[in-house]
Amino acid sequence: MKVIAASEIRGSASTSDKDLKAALSQWLSNPPRRIDRLIFQALLGAAALKDHVRSDCGLYLASCHPARPTMIALLEAVCVQHKQPKPFEFVNSVSNAAGFHVAQQLGLEGPNLFIGAGPRVWSQLMGLARLDVQAGVISQALLLVVDEQGDFCVQGVLLEGDGELGTNSFGELAAGIQVQQLALN
Amino acid sequence: MTPVYLQRGALQCALGADLATASRALGDDRKAKGRSFLLHELQQPRTYLDVAGPAHTLDARLDQLLRETLGAEHGSLDDCVLIVASTSLDIVDLETQAAEQGQFLPDDSTSLDRIAEQLRERWGFADAFTLNTACTSAANGLLYGARMLADGQFARAVLIAYETPSALAMQGFGALDLLSPSGHYRPFHPERDGLVLGETYAAALLSLEPGAAPLARLLGGFSACDTSSLTTTREDGSHIDWVMQQALKSAERTAGDIALVKLHGTATQANDVAERNGMLSLYGEHMPALCVLKPWLGHTLGACGLSETLLLMKALQQHQLPGLDYAAEASLPLSCERIQLPGDAVLLANFFGFGGNNASLVLQCMGGAQ
Repeated sequence: MKVIAASEIRGSASTSDKDLKAALSQWLSNPPRRIDRLIFQALLGAAALKDHVRSDCGLYLASCHPARPTMIALLEAVCVQHKQPKPFEFVNSVSNAAGFHVAQQLGLEGPNLFIGAGPRVWSQLMGLARLDVQAGVISQALLLVVDEQGDFCVQGVLLEGDGELGTNSFGELAAGIQVQQLALN
Repeated sequence: MTPVYLQRGALQCALGADLATASRALGDDRKAKGRSFLLHELQQPRTYLDVAGPAHTLDARLDQLLRETLGAEHGSLDDCVLIVASTSLDIVDLETQAAEQGQFLPDDSTSLDRIAEQLRERWGFADAFTLNTACTSAANGLLYGARMLADGQFARAVLIAYETPSALAMQGFGALDLLSPSGHYRPFHPERDGLVLGETYAAALLSLEPGAAPLARLLGGFSACDTSSLTTTREDGSHIDWVMQQALKSAERTAGDIALVKLHGTATQANDVAERNGMLSLYGEHMPALCVLKPWLGHTLGACGLSETLLLMKALQQHQLPGLDYAAEASLPLSCERIQLPGDAVLLANFFGFGGNNASLVLQCMGGAQ
């Protein structure tokens, strides 16, 4: 597999969803409405690579956590206030909602997987993507990792072709590639 | 795709606390009695299907599944990957915490790989990850686990799939008006009124070798994202039709080779219409035998790809599938007669979910009804 493009979006805990939406508008003319922070972040990492993406591309998305503001709103509504959750918040809490919006905005028709991001996340995402490339299901794979622990970082790489890369980190994957970067501090 | 065997499996569900009991209950057409809960604010009752038997902690249930699935002499697991497929993960713990604290703080949020990583450390798996693609999570777990084995990444794969009785899921699906007010779970019935959620814990051991008593052979499958809507698939069934065709292609089979289609059949208005149209596109009016399992098991969400597969394959091995008492009224030609298949019959199993995820698996029976 060969890395053909990469992105890295960084922001802080104080970067608001409004800031994320404004940043997204530089790549997407009609972003989805009523989406949460994780969806914004995934869209930003993906939209930065939009010009390189074909439709027969699979999406392999990982995040360490769900969107915390959504989880807080849902848990407090249901478990503390004993109210019904807001339907759009419940739907956004489905982990692959972010993947759906990325696929819809970029026109991806391939598989769409979401995994929990742990210490081996890049090798896991690459392993899954390689299986689909080998099976002839896709010709490109978009890998995205969202990590928000205070500050946040979204890293994306677009791969194509067969074979192993033998790398297990974003830094190694993006070495030698001009990374599309955005800092939202 | 290189075929992979489901060597062993374990299931805890509303029909029984183990796979043999559950498959016997299905064969005997014994439905579980659900419990009633109230939708917040509306104060309307809905039904939930709890796992049969005494309550246990999640850790205890998952360890029990692994003991049952791996067997006593599993040896070192440094050649085995663990895939955890669940939409609920540890949400029941977080719900309890929020209720006790009267709030939920950002730092209370746990990582999405926590349970997979804890199991990896406790059991010594070579690798482990959480896969969450809504109601296709476990179907994708089977598909990608099988591909990992065929690729030589690992010699064995264990898939754990579970859904806990989460208040968020119960109230959330209620807020979407997708839960059955009547509690009668009737996919493809003209007066169907929604789904009944079910609790389950399931596991399977996948291998390129059949082992002593395999449950099934996974011949192929396909999974893709329909980007037309976050919560429904295309009503004309075209994406479902395409996914089923791609699954058959990956298994090097044709629609005519299929003896039975296990429908996803959620009994929601939109899903059943789309699946019916997909089936009509693929088969026209001449369909193979059809079955649904959710009336017995409930909708086990992200785990249904494994809970339904295990229940179906075990039931076909040991018993017959029950007929459906409302088959004559259904919008697809479901059978009111019991279904028995040849021992090597090939099946198609559909699983669809939020996020546009549609998946189909092609499975082969390992031994027929006796």
